[in-house]
Amino acid sequence: MTVSYEHRLLFRHEGPLDMEVLPVLVHAAERALQNEGVRPPLRRRIISSLIELAQNIIRYSAVNEKYPPLLLLSRTDQGFVLIVRNLVHYSQELFLHSYLQNLVSMPRQELEKLHYSTLTEGSYSDSGGAGLGLVQVLFKSDAFEYELTPVEGEYSWFTVKASFSL
Amino acid sequence: MSDLTTSERLIIEPTFTTPEIRFDPAAGRFFIGGNSYPENSLKFYGPVLQWLQAWASKHTPTSETLTVEVRLEYFNTSTAKVLLDLFRLFESLYERGQPIQIRWIYVAEDTEMEDAGIDYQAAVKVPFELVPVDE
Repeated sequence: MTVSYEHRLLFRHEGPLDMEVLPVLVHAAERALQNEGVRPPLRRRIISSLIELAQNIIRYSAVNEKYPPLLLLSRTDQGFVLIVRNLVHYSQELFLHSYLQNLVSMPRQELEKLHYSTLTEGSYSDSGGAGLGLVQVLFKSDAFEYELTPVEGEYSWFTVKASFSL
Repeated sequence: MSDLTTSERLIIEPTFTTPEIRFDPAAGRFFIGGNSYPENSLKFYGPVLQWLQAWASKHTPTSETLTVEVRLEYFNTSTAKVLLDLFRLFESLYERGQPIQIRWIYVAEDTEMEDAGIDYQAAVKVPFELVPVDE
């Protein structure tokens, strides 16, 4: 996964993330996108993806002060790139990898069907999630990449890069 | 103004991450508006669903149409799921003979919100109107 330094950074947060911080980040990202002249449909796709990825971190991320979550939004010639990175324990890696491999291999129509059937027939997780967060990000973005890279001991970075075309 | 829960009315004031809720059956109006991305949507909406269930179980259908208005800004996927549960409660009331109109209000150019409304429209058997408005 590459992030070009030619991208113009609109928004960056590296630090603890909780439900008090999230609305501030949403507001900041929204302001940045408004300043870029981004209209509602695209703005909604980006902000909704930011919310889902951030709430996945709040619900499921491993916590280590040395390795805080990172969220950044940048502008490219083609549109916008949202990168979200957090720490995961190795016990989560296999699940994430097989879950996402399955999702990214799905044709868009199938993803749409999965989204709809999970919405209408799925159940809630113990943490109140609907199991739709990453499906939603894949569904709303124009390109989606992820990687798991070792950090230290039993932990890895889980990084998601979602691109949105103008 | 603060939250108010009685058997007649349910009023919850908005926060940055949870919506304003105004359920006023006597006025025939049920409103949800604002942002909805609580960490745990079930925790927030559970009491709302319970209140609605309790009210609906005692409600005798009338000829007056009850209006359910939803005007959300940002909402997370767990809210999306809870909303469907909420609409299904209204659907069961509609099936018992209570006229109901759900109005999904969104900014006209926001096709993402329009699509979300279309999904709900297809998922529930109750009059469901898509209402585009200016920003």
